[in-house]
Amino acid sequence: MSLRGHHRTESTHEEGISFLVVRLGETYLALPADGVRGVLTPAEAGIGDSIKAVGIIYRYLNLADMLTLSAGFETTDTRVILYSNGRSHAAVRVEQVFGLSEVESAQCVPLPAQFRADERTWFSGMILHEEGLALIVNPTWLLGEVAEVVSMAAGGVLR
Amino acid sequence: MLRASKQQGKSIAVKRSWNLLVFSVGGERLAVRTDDVGGIAHWTDTIPVPSRTPFVQAMLRREKELMPVYDLAARLNRSLVGDPLLCLVAKHLDGSMAICIDGDMPSLQTIDAGALQFSTRTDIETIGSFNDGSGDIPVVALQTLGGTSTNHSGHATGL
Repeated sequence: MSLRGHHRTESTHEEGISFLVVRLGETYLALPADGVRGVLTPAEAGIGDSIKAVGIIYRYLNLADMLTLSAGFETTDTRVILYSNGRSHAAVRVEQVFGLSEVESAQCVPLPAQFRADERTWFSGMILHEEGLALIVNPTWLLGEVAEVVSMAAGGVLR
Repeated sequence: MLRASKQQGKSIAVKRSWNLLVFSVGGERLAVRTDDVGGIAHWTDTIPVPSRTPFVQAMLRREKELMPVYDLAARLNRSLVGDPLLCLVAKHLDGSMAICIDGDMPSLQTIDAGALQFSTRTDIETIGSFNDGSGDIPVVALQTLGGTSTNHSGHATGL
């Protein structure tokens, strides 16, 4: 259940936003941390199409398929993220968890306007991560509540 | 009054000639207006982004600068030539955009405005074409390449 690290970039008075940075294939994803309810090893997650934890059932979502990414979940780094917004709950397999990263809201940038299709719903923005970037997963879409999506363009990152 | 005359003169001068950058993609020669070019640099690794926008499926990062990548070679169904490849930064209406081009160093060319002909190409946005003596070279409309956020049509603009 432990996370590998907790990175904070530049401490200021501005409110920070925490993300759990994970990897699927070659893609780094940033899950808003306030929805993370747990990080399990495959052994802890067990077998089945859902996980029950603290009385809540988290059904598996295949995020790799949803994003058309090729991912392998047979490594020792594979983890299962329990994610919830209090109403909807999901379990998501990822290839690797990098830990929590806290950034200022100004460091969350929107997807460039040249991206014009479904990816604008999938991702509410992006943050710099190590030498690359991590795409901020829109939790509303992830949890199947896409009708409630508020565009990044309307202001701020979805949380 | 004098200022207005100067501006008018400048406007006429702009129309008399075109400053173009000639480069190649998969051996096909293309040109763009130099005013639409933000720079030329060596190509570096890109960061894949799950996307359903045609030819926009990656980002390029330079320090803290992030740019979407437009895959012009894929659109033209060409394989890039040269090592190292070069990066052409396009001043697109939606923001800067990186385009991978052949490794041959681009050249500058000035043509008379009258030399710019209507282009019959429909597979790419152009502002026309010109003949440099060894063949027609389409002038790609970098500002609207792939369409813009206010005009998704992506059709060739013509003259």
